[in-house]
Amino acid sequence: MNRWHLLQKKALWSLFTIAFVIVLNFFLFRVLPGDPARAGIKDPRLTPETIEALRTRFGLDKPVINCFKTINPLVLGACDVNPLETQFVIYVKNLFLGDLGVSYYYNRPVEDILKERLWNTILLIGLGQILAILIGMAYGIFAAWKARTVIDYGALITGLIAWSLPTFWLGIILLFWGSSHGFPISGKSTPGMSSYPLMMQIGDLAKHLFLPTVTYTIVYMAEYMLIMRSSLLDVLSEDYILTAKAKGLSVFQILKDHALKNGMLPLVTVIAINLGYTVGGVIQIESVFSWPGLGGALYEAVNRTDFPMLQGAFLLIAVSVVVANFIADLTYSYLDPRVQTG
Amino acid sequence: MNVQLTESSPAAPVQRVNYWKIVSRNRVALLGILMIAVAVIVALFAPLIARYDPKSSEGISSSDVYNPPSAKHWLGTDDVGKDIFTNFVYGTRVSLIVGFFASFISIVIGGIIGLMAGFYGGRVENFLMRFTDIMLVIPDLPLIVVIVALTKASLMNIIFVIGIFGWTTTARIVRSQTLAVKSRKFVLRAKAIGAGNWHIVIHHILPLVLPIMVVNAILVVSSAILSESTLAFIGLSDPTAISWGQMLNFAFSRGAMSVGAWWALVVPGFGIVWIVLALTLLGNGLEQILNPRLESHHLMPGRPSFQSEAEAAPVKTGKSTAPVLLDVQNLSVNYVSDGKVAQAVRNVSFQLHEGELIGLVGESGCGKTTLMMALTRLLPAAGEISNGHVIFHGKDLAALTDEELSNLRWSGISVVFQGAMNALNPVRTVGDQIEEAILKHIPHFPPKALSARVEELLDLVGISAEHKNHFPHQYSGGMRQRAIIAMALSCNPQVVIADEPTTALDVMIQAQILELLDELRKKLGLAVLFVTHDLGIVAEMCDSVLVMYGGVTAEYADVDTIYNAPRHPYTQELLKAFPDLTKPERRLTSIPGSPPKLDALPPGCRFAPRCPVAFERCSKEAPALHRLGENHLASCHLVEA
Repeated sequence: MNRWHLLQKKALWSLFTIAFVIVLNFFLFRVLPGDPARAGIKDPRLTPETIEALRTRFGLDKPVINCFKTINPLVLGACDVNPLETQFVIYVKNLFLGDLGVSYYYNRPVEDILKERLWNTILLIGLGQILAILIGMAYGIFAAWKARTVIDYGALITGLIAWSLPTFWLGIILLFWGSSHGFPISGKSTPGMSSYPLMMQIGDLAKHLFLPTVTYTIVYMAEYMLIMRSSLLDVLSEDYILTAKAKGLSVFQILKDHALKNGMLPLVTVIAINLGYTVGGVIQIESVFSWPGLGGALYEAVNRTDFPMLQGAFLLIAVSVVVANFIADLTYSYLDPRVQTG
Repeated sequence: MNVQLTESSPAAPVQRVNYWKIVSRNRVALLGILMIAVAVIVALFAPLIARYDPKSSEGISSSDVYNPPSAKHWLGTDDVGKDIFTNFVYGTRVSLIVGFFASFISIVIGGIIGLMAGFYGGRVENFLMRFTDIMLVIPDLPLIVVIVALTKASLMNIIFVIGIFGWTTTARIVRSQTLAVKSRKFVLRAKAIGAGNWHIVIHHILPLVLPIMVVNAILVVSSAILSESTLAFIGLSDPTAISWGQMLNFAFSRGAMSVGAWWALVVPGFGIVWIVLALTLLGNGLEQILNPRLESHHLMPGRPSFQSEAEAAPVKTGKSTAPVLLDVQNLSVNYVSDGKVAQAVRNVSFQLHEGELIGLVGESGCGKTTLMMALTRLLPAAGEISNGHVIFHGKDLAALTDEELSNLRWSGISVVFQGAMNALNPVRTVGDQIEEAILKHIPHFPPKALSARVEELLDLVGISAEHKNHFPHQYSGGMRQRAIIAMALSCNPQVVIADEPTTALDVMIQAQILELLDELRKKLGLAVLFVTHDLGIVAEMCDSVLVMYGGVTAEYADVDTIYNAPRHPYTQELLKAFPDLTKPERRLTSIPGSPPKLDALPPGCRFAPRCPVAFERCSKEAPALHRLGENHLASCHLVEA
């Protein structure tokens, strides 16, 4: 019952956070100086009529919000308008209909472009995250077990160095190396690949995926290793480990049955908290490898001043992180019985 | 109470601490500081170090583009033919400026939010922390990218935007530290005196929150520097200020990769790694200083046992005609750290007979727990058996291989740990932990009978079967202790070692647990070694008593002799400290002083400095263990025949 209650509470907060992100996302793009009306339709070649037509098309002719003058120093709103006719209400309505606007650059609906890209990002993060967690955990456990030995110090030093590498720089270095070792330097597939048999397509994808995934894995593995190591060092000095030893369990049994679950708790928290941070890394990796994902979309949108795309990509990234965070919270409560039964 | 309060709580909690001295002892932190110092010097003296003016394009021709490192350009040239070394040196400035100012903004915001939340509590805290949680979930780099893209990518703007989104971790850390400090005595006292909130925060709370804030600040600085370089790399940088990220952006997007100009790609990244690594090292070093970790854990390989002395005939104890189960012969245990050896247990011998209960008594720090842990080699990694044998069924436990020992643990000799402590794994059910022990030693235990066996064991200690699938935190302290006893009995051991099993429990529960233990002992015919510093328990339950002092046997006798005719001054003094209801009323006295430190043992008798009847010989010569009766031994010069 408690667990159900907790789930409801977490779900409610996640929804609230998403609502906050939606509002924030809308107003950032309306309040800050680089707004679409000025940035996108500022081309001197356009006639006033065309500008007016474009403004109507992007819905920029309508007031941003309904009469809000008293608390709104920026005077975004206008009074005596139908609240349903304001940009904010239209924006929210369109969001619920899955409409994120039209990209200035591609001249296609943003949601169509981002839909493909979301899966590419999930593929990259998913694969990288799984590898980083597995390798990082194993390495961290091993280092903690062999505490104060050469293995441990070696793990610590490589971990700290890998942790300090800027993700995009590591990507560049790996790309530099990979380009001279037959790895593709950009994108997700070789042009024209779609006419080849499926196995070859998969092989081609794997080749393209290799360097971005390695970059991702190295950066996050280091962090997970450091956390797992220090959390396991704490766990291994606990009394119940001594109990397990006194019971005659082997080192392997103690690590597997008594240390792992406890030692993983801080890691899960960090994975959850770091999801936002992970996304930062993905933007860098996707920019370096021109991986067609959400982070790459953000990068391209910045460089092409494609604001509907930027807005859509940010919204999708932020919402995905909130959802992933919710899932991580649930995992934590599953791992730690003290949370569910409090 | 009042007197104590003023004594134990100084008016100002801030002591003059020599921070430099503490930091300089940590090599990791020192290396970090050194690396940061190098970066700061490079930034400050950039015009002197750089060989060209970064702003002028004088004398640059098209043949200078992407030139490899040479005497003229140590680190080569970039896409417009400029000297990379010069740009690199000037890039240090931007990184440090952004790192410093952006983190300053973050820490001020986070510090204020955290202090307010922690100090005011209630609704203020709830609101602020909810807001912090939301901001923590929203990915900050994309948000920063969006905002900088929508505004102007000037240095000021970048600093400001990175600064106002980097405060969440600071707010959380400061809040929890403030909460911890707020209820301390000196803060409550300042409140009682009527000090204003502002005064309390500035003079009492902030000084204690500050160290943690400093460690956090270092991490905030490094993440600000990384954010700046990432922004610059994806094209959001101040065109008037050269930064490392910007250099990488230009090189990467303007063909350095295709012409193979590795220097243009490697050099700027090296700067970022340098500064971030420096900050990481410093942060880690400071963290180590603030939260020193134990140097060892329970799975580190123990030190091998050895014989340091010629085999001497071990002292025989006990008058029991029952067979000897556990024969401890001349056992010595050392702790070794940094090459220094401390004698924790010295030459202790005794025999535990079938069905016998021996009480092991002495003050804290007299080697009781060390002796007990040494019996089944559960010593911490620094401990070693430096002499003697522990004979159980003809095998020397001190010399067995790890695997042989594992098989004997629990099935032959089990241990009852202090249950109020963390002796049960918090994330596994109690029943599961008992089953595990059974399956380890009886691998072919019929699975169907396993559950019944666990219920039987729990029933034995008075826990109903429905609690089997509960977690330790759902048990009360007394129940946890019972569960641990049940677990200790799960493999039908012949010897049970109980290490102060009732210390942290209240008196009623203590009595229950002890009765239970005594009852089970008689019912199951166990031999028990009971470690305690409570002489009352000893009088009630034990057959024989081993009094330890400073790691050696002070006195050994059956329980009546110990109570009625103790010969060692230490035993006599210990008894004076305990009330005895069967004897005329007398004043209770405690022994002044405390047991000797193991690394600074007195030269003669270890008890001599505290002994009321010590004479000259005691401080020069250690007394031998003298036999005073069939089952009575004492190590004191006064009992010498």
